[in-house]
Amino acid sequence: MDVVRDVLDKAVVDRNGREMGRVDGIVVAVRDGAPPRLDAILIGPVALGERLHPGVGRLVGAVERRLGLDPDRPVRVEFRDIETVERKVRVRLTVGETAAEAVEQRLRGWVGRLPGSR
Amino acid sequence: MRKIFNLTLGIVTSIGGFVEAGSISTAAQAGSEFGFRLLWAIAAATIFLAALAEMGGRIAAVGKRSMVAAVRERFGFHFQVVPLGAELITDVLLLTAELGGAAISVKMLTGIGFQWWIAPIGLVVWLVLWLGNFTVIENGVGFLGLVTLSFAVAAWRLQPAVAPVARGFIPTVPHHELTRYAFLSVSIVGATVSPYLLNFYASGAIEEKWTEQDLWINRATAFLGMGFGSMVAMACLITAAVVLGPRHVTVESYEQAAQMFVPVFGRWAVTLFALSLGVGCFGAAVEITLNAGYLLGQAFGWRWGVDKKRRDVSRFVTAFSIVLLLSVSIAAIGFDPLKITLISVALTVVIMPLIVLPFLVLMNEKAYVREHTSGPVGNGLLAALTILGAIMALVVIPLEIFGG
Repeated sequence: MDVVRDVLDKAVVDRNGREMGRVDGIVVAVRDGAPPRLDAILIGPVALGERLHPGVGRLVGAVERRLGLDPDRPVRVEFRDIETVERKVRVRLTVGETAAEAVEQRLRGWVGRLPGSR
Repeated sequence: MRKIFNLTLGIVTSIGGFVEAGSISTAAQAGSEFGFRLLWAIAAATIFLAALAEMGGRIAAVGKRSMVAAVRERFGFHFQVVPLGAELITDVLLLTAELGGAAISVKMLTGIGFQWWIAPIGLVVWLVLWLGNFTVIENGVGFLGLVTLSFAVAAWRLQPAVAPVARGFIPTVPHHELTRYAFLSVSIVGATVSPYLLNFYASGAIEEKWTEQDLWINRATAFLGMGFGSMVAMACLITAAVVLGPRHVTVESYEQAAQMFVPVFGRWAVTLFALSLGVGCFGAAVEITLNAGYLLGQAFGWRWGVDKKRRDVSRFVTAFSIVLLLSVSIAAIGFDPLKITLISVALTVVIMPLIVLPFLVLMNEKAYVREHTSGPVGNGLLAALTILGAIMALVVIPLEIFGG
């Protein structure tokens, strides 16, 4: 399959159908004489920033570290953990096992305190 | 039966949600300066808007994606970052304009300076979005907006001669003030074909879980709802043409525009105009704020939507709150709301190709709309008009600003 067209930028859901973000980057292994192989997908603004410009990626990374977010970001999902690639990319993990929702959780700490948020 | 009910509801709420700061100010200026001669611009822009909204609804119903999501998947983030940024900037500007318009209307009713009302109005907008679900928000905005039918009542009661009104639907080149005429026609297009309206409409189709069975409802809502809605804007233009034109009043503030109601509504004129403007702007402010959340949530793949518990969509809530706060801050500086409105609607036409062209490409791809693709003639025409509009905007905006 054409990994760039078929995988990159698609929505990612976990095995329970919960949103994990989008495929913000891909890790491709290139070997002589063989077609490139998809090793992993990356989810998170650092990967997205790097696609625009390495400097943007570094900047976003610095902001994330400053905020003390999980160092395990951008989230890397190995090829073997990808279940299906259709309209969305479905992975065998659950979102809770990854740091994909680190920002959401951080903000939930604030938003969840307001009356009427539940 | 339920579908007919939904359809009627969709049409009624589109009518109530149609006019806001942009459409009222451009229609009032066009009517007062050029009589009925710019009616064609509202009509043409409405057909354009309805065609695009129908497509947005179709992608949502068939492809189960918002326009923003589809553009990212098809063209990649590299490309998307440009239209996304442009749309966010116009969203912030237009939101500032709507908050200002709503604040001016409260000023007309209370006599207290408009800047004092910006923050309270912003807070009410936020509370509506915090507490309401999609149905409440959409229908609330739509039904309250029916007060804008006062424009239709005014135009009706003034009984303008039919022939000159009908002639207004045929584009003509005026003998004087060509630049101003071209600028106003561009502004009318920008005020009518707002990107926020398109994305809001398509996101609504996703929030309401439309399917392929709803395609005819989508088509009818888009064309009838926006068609009838545009009649309110046309009525504003006609009223301004009949009342303000002969008195040589050019609309340089909303207070001047309010005078168009005097012959029909007498001492209730200012109150009714203020209510129409205020409710129209407030409704648009709610929708634009929500749209900013939709844009970012859909582009980055967050969980989004006002039908979910707010704590489960924290990034979405934070995003639209920040955008609202930004616009409230800009509006509170005290820029003239009418000026901001006119700048943002003209700018909208300039960025239109960035939003419309990729979208037209998607409408031809089976991966997104299956067999419900758009025809090449319609798409070609929309593409040509978009580019033509943008070129015209790039020419007339500097001429208007620096005096051609």
